Amino acid sequence: MSGGAELVRGAALIKRFGGIVANDAVEFAVVAGDLVGLIGPNGSGKTTLINMLTGHLAPDGGDVVVRGREMTDQPAHVYAAMGVARTFQLTQLFGRMTVLENLLVPGLTRPHSTWQVAERRARDTLDFLKLAHLEQLHAKNLSGGQQKLLELGRCLMLEPAILFLDEPFAGVHPRLRDELIERILELHKAGRTFVVVDHDMESILRVSQRLVVMARGRKIADGPPPEVRTDQAVLAAYAGL
Amino acid sequence: MRGFHVYILLATAALALVFADRLSSYWMHVAIIAMFYGILASSWSLLAGYVGLFSLGHMAFASIGGYASGLLVQWYGIPIPLGMAAGVALCCALGGLIGWVCLRMSGPYLAIFTLGFAEIVRIILATEDDITSGMAGLHVQRLFDTPSRLPYFYTAFALLAVSLLLLGGMVRSRWGLFLRAIREDEQAASASGVAVARFRILAFAIASGFAGLAGGFYGHYIGILTPSLGGLDLMALLVVMTVIGGMERLPTAVGGAFVVEFLLEVLRGYGQWRLPLFGIVLLLTMRFARNGLLTPLWLKFVQLGEPQAAAAIAARDVPQKDPAQ
Repeated sequence: MSGGAELVRGAALIKRFGGIVANDAVEFAVVAGDLVGLIGPNGSGKTTLINMLTGHLAPDGGDVVVRGREMTDQPAHVYAAMGVARTFQLTQLFGRMTVLENLLVPGLTRPHSTWQVAERRARDTLDFLKLAHLEQLHAKNLSGGQQKLLELGRCLMLEPAILFLDEPFAGVHPRLRDELIERILELHKAGRTFVVVDHDMESILRVSQRLVVMARGRKIADGPPPEVRTDQAVLAAYAGL
Repeated sequence: MRGFHVYILLATAALALVFADRLSSYWMHVAIIAMFYGILASSWSLLAGYVGLFSLGHMAFASIGGYASGLLVQWYGIPIPLGMAAGVALCCALGGLIGWVCLRMSGPYLAIFTLGFAEIVRIILATEDDITSGMAGLHVQRLFDTPSRLPYFYTAFALLAVSLLLLGGMVRSRWGLFLRAIREDEQAASASGVAVARFRILAFAIASGFAGLAGGFYGHYIGILTPSLGGLDLMALLVVMTVIGGMERLPTAVGGAFVVEFLLEVLRGYGQWRLPLFGIVLLLTMRFARNGLLTPLWLKFVQLGEPQAAAAIAARDVPQKDPAQ
């Protein structure tokens, strides 16, 4: 951890789906300035954890605290208002709305926002993401990589304190993946806090300063990437050693 | 010239108002009923087209609004506009309640739930003879004490205009943007900070309120209300009107109501066969023009005098693949 103020804490989070325990008393905290990589084999409970930490899934046990405020059972839009932004494993855009409108939606949910200010911010964000030339296109017509970038832009319009990115590199062309990594590092440098979930180990290692590993619904490692990579429990989880 | 289409619409409206008295009583009645359906179609479009909530209970709210106003005027002798306002308020409250109960429903589940609600309303109105006069029909005081239809024409015109102004203002505001975002993806809308539950309830309440307004006017125009107003037949007709016109835009929904209502009269000579004809047109619309038959015409119309806007709108649907992929 980078030693800043605690932004999000999941305390002893439990989530069951039928007989399957997707998260088993998981402890997870992120402080301001962190750039956390969250990895684990398929079905290890990463997305379930993110869903609980962003208000999209109510935990069966445990608490979620955002910037010191108890948030368990609050709806997702309250999390967004508290500065918690997220992308989805399968990109979820407003497909039949234009690229610009996709950014205006979060922009206009901000307190005291006006159309004029939201539009200006949206255009700045599109410039930053190099999508400005596509602003009048329907979002469903963008390529996969461009959709991932637009989803990141939608997060940025919330002026978030923390961004949870769920598999941002999945199915993205290497050139656009590099673009995405560049943008993440740039934003982190500017003070944003990130939690990045992905299977693409190479990309995760390029961005993260802290690596958290999950397996079978539990957190099995948490620390600097070089240490975690050699952790016996992690090797066992990935290679079945 | 920007907004050229608005001037054309205003000129057409002015002509309609000036020359309305030249319409025969029969066609004036058709026009009044078309405007009644126009209010219903535009408000249903808000719900089904903008938010994606395919409710089949809209005519039930028209029925509730009509009966509430008629009964209040009959029982308490209150002025008719006050009775209609009370009907609107009741429909807003009930609509909000239905919206709250249906929060986690969409698609066929919502359609079946609201259909069930509509049938409950219809059966209650049909069986509570002592209050509603059942199938014999409730006699409702007429809005104007005159045999002329002209004052009703102007009233229907004003109500439709006000409805379109209010609904149009709403869909063009940030609320409209949020409602469309909810239609596209509720989870993403929520992650973007949109209070999805609040807006779904609000959409139900507002749309139901306008349905209640239309129902109140209808009752005080026709002078008699029967439970069939809230039945599935008229709901199906409303769906046909809105879908054929184009349910994702208020003007096309209203246009659909006008076109279908006038065609129903023009084709009256074909008896019941005109109804399967509309069914076939509906099927073809869903298959080949899901945005409605009037939407392309409307888009061309609004682009009059705006060549750049035309190009921009046409470009929205062009897939833009990244060269790297």
